[in-house]
Amino acid sequence: MNYLAEVTRWLTDPQNWAGPAGIGNRLSEHVQISLLSVALACVVALPAGLAIGHLRKGRFVVVSVANLGRAIPSFAILALALPVTIGLGLGLGFWPTVIALFLLAIPPILTNTYVGIEGVDADTVEAARGMGMSEAEVLFRLELPLAAPLVVAGVRTSVVQVVATATLAALVAWGGLGRFIIDGFAIRDNVQILGGAILVAALAVAAELLFEALERLVTPITARSKQAAMPGPGAEAAATGRQA
Amino acid sequence: MRRSRNLVLGAALLAATLALAACRPGGDGAQDGKATIVVGVSGAFAENQIVAEMYAQVLENAGYEVTRQLDLGSREISQPALERGEIHIKPEYLSTLLLFLDENAQASGNPDEVAAALEPLLEERGVKLLPFSEADDTNALVVTGQTAQTRNLSKVSDLAPIAGQLTFGGPPECPNRPFCIPGLKGVYGIEFGDFKPLDVGGPLTVAALEGGEIHVALLFSTSGVIGRKGFVVLEDDKELQQADNIVPVVLESVLNSEIEDLLNSVSARLTTEKITELNAKVEVDQTDPSEVARGFLEEEGLL
Repeated sequence: MNYLAEVTRWLTDPQNWAGPAGIGNRLSEHVQISLLSVALACVVALPAGLAIGHLRKGRFVVVSVANLGRAIPSFAILALALPVTIGLGLGLGFWPTVIALFLLAIPPILTNTYVGIEGVDADTVEAARGMGMSEAEVLFRLELPLAAPLVVAGVRTSVVQVVATATLAALVAWGGLGRFIIDGFAIRDNVQILGGAILVAALAVAAELLFEALERLVTPITARSKQAAMPGPGAEAAATGRQA
Repeated sequence: MRRSRNLVLGAALLAATLALAACRPGGDGAQDGKATIVVGVSGAFAENQIVAEMYAQVLENAGYEVTRQLDLGSREISQPALERGEIHIKPEYLSTLLLFLDENAQASGNPDEVAAALEPLLEERGVKLLPFSEADDTNALVVTGQTAQTRNLSKVSDLAPIAGQLTFGGPPECPNRPFCIPGLKGVYGIEFGDFKPLDVGGPLTVAALEGGEIHVALLFSTSGVIGRKGFVVLEDDKELQQADNIVPVVLESVLNSEIEDLLNSVSARLTTEKITELNAKVEVDQTDPSEVARGFLEEEGLL
């Protein structure tokens, strides 16, 4: 009890929130590096997922790449990226972490996107083509809106993973909430370690809730009740994505 | 300090298990005419194993039967093993051992003072502290050869006027430790422009220093990479760092004047520069510690 009280005191002491090494700034750094990494992953994974889902080609390559991305520990990527970024003059900390988080964020977005697009009913797609829609129109006016909840679910999975993993940045001299964990470990300050871990978990949960709301928002009204009652192949993919 | 800081609980537990298994045969043997000597280490890392090998090899050369226990994970294991007679000799570090035996003791930058404080503590445990070597494995501020030249740096106090323009890198605990940022400020008046929390004298700090991400690094003074990378150790001219000279500690009950002379002959030839190069041979070139020790002893005419 005493221990938890100390952690609570640490979390609520305004002095711990102030300044460049305070919780406020660390939280902001953590959000920044997470957002940038996921945004970069979206730039790569969304178009790739859309193309693969629409063309229904290259699935094998994507599954392989996605699984490989999941299989390599982020810490190893960080360690491998570090000498490269130092060599390129991009320095310690920020960029090697972004590279590691970017690679971590790609697989769920990519997988969910192509599964979502691919999962759109083939007859509906045929009907759209029959009505004279161009391929681009089929993709952006039919497939993407129908797949949107799943695509957002993929991004949500990535965000949660990235927020939890961005603590690694502190290992390579950058900031973020990982600083409290790494520095706390270095000076054997368990209160600080647990406090930092709680903040990371809270941020991940907040991100999860935010994206859940967004997911509901992009779900077509007609599909809302149906999707809840009858999870399609898409929902399955989202679930596996989150597990990894 | 290095050894206790490096200690991770899991590793210690593992080491404890291994050491318990390894120690069992150690106690036997020491009853014949010319005793069997069990040489141990204070912790299982390259530098300590090299020096332990030196002790073992000069003893063997003088006709002693030697058993090696060079995998004792940490001081938490090796010190009780020595006091119980499971090992008879191990290479130690002055201040680190002093603080291990008495955490309230006053370590300092003066090795004679530290040795004087340490001697009675060991004596009451039946252990004799022999004369220490010049080789001092302590925290050191290190710069690249180029920085040393362009900024004209040779000792730590040279940093004081320009520190505001420099970035310092070291272990994350640096801002809290008297030997690091607080001590540099208090003793030398040095306040760096920026501090980057890295690792404990490990590859990250070396890479950051080499890549120009930091200008000054906290490394261990005998780290093998220093010589290999052309780094320059700044002289601790105001004795901020505790003296951690390498020193043999021996169980009184096996000690005789011949053993004492043999161990002293090794200590007399060990210097920080020499052990740094030997460390590089093991850490960088992956040579076996026993081979490195043999090469050194032959070169020094001790074998």
